[in-house]
Amino acid sequence: MTEKRKDIKVRKKEGLTTAMPERTRAKRTVTPRVDICESGSDMVVFADMPGVNEGSANITLDRGILTIEGFVEPDKLEGYDLAYAEYDVGDYYRVFTLSDAIDQDRIEASIKDGVLKLVLPKAEPAKARRIIVKAQ
Amino acid sequence: MAIRDIAPWKWGRKGIPARREGEHPIYSLYRAMDQLFDQFFGDFERFPFGTSEGWTGPFSPQVNMAESDKDIRVTAELPGMDEKDIEISTSKDTLTIKGEKKEEREEEEKDYYYAERSFGAFRRVISLPCEVDTENVDASFKRGVLTVTLPKMTPAEAEAKKIPIKTD
Repeated sequence: MTEKRKDIKVRKKEGLTTAMPERTRAKRTVTPRVDICESGSDMVVFADMPGVNEGSANITLDRGILTIEGFVEPDKLEGYDLAYAEYDVGDYYRVFTLSDAIDQDRIEASIKDGVLKLVLPKAEPAKARRIIVKAQ
Repeated sequence: MAIRDIAPWKWGRKGIPARREGEHPIYSLYRAMDQLFDQFFGDFERFPFGTSEGWTGPFSPQVNMAESDKDIRVTAELPGMDEKDIEISTSKDTLTIKGEKKEEREEEEKDYYYAERSFGAFRRVISLPCEVDTENVDASFKRGVLTVTLPKMTPAEAEAKKIPIKTD
């Protein structure tokens, strides 16, 4: 059965946070591979996070720092001996810094078959405003 | 040739298992060094310069294999793939996974600034440590992870041929 792409809400954090985002779990982390591309008026980021669905992905935006986290269920190994391993199973974690060129309020995230797609729309340049001078 | 081949205390082990949680940190260090050696001297044909870091050539899925008394479980990371693009076949002692990882079709043209993910057709043949019952293999694909469960062939089912001894 083919999965449909599912949307994820991007959370904005306000208030006091540490300068570098810290993780609160001592679990092994893996850096997901990403592709960053530009398509028309948006930047699009694809991240490979097999094992993650919309319930276990966490995207947070905090003053320009975008944190991508994907939580993965550990391999069920009862009764099994791991005979051969080419990849480590672990939570996905990657941090990006966004510039003002991105409109941070309109970021969209969705996930399908373990691939996260982030659409980062580019900000419209600030329009020049005319300021009216009032007489006192 | 891996360091395993020239270090006699490694003989008899089938490969280096991935890290388990709660493991002693010194033991983790020992295994990390082991893996470092294996990576460096390991896959010479594919990575002649010693590392798979930064390799963005054709896509080749990574697999893990776990073994219990009754079956062998092989898991492969295939993010973004459609299960109709994956083909699995088995023989008595190998498992072949082949398919093609395609990019997500978008209408607009895209300019890539930074590409780490790879795409393309792949084919991996994995040797299994023992014979399996090819009739009852189970495969499922969820969230980009393919899991194939192959029941082991019990000794009673495996063919044992009795060889008569001739006397002159």
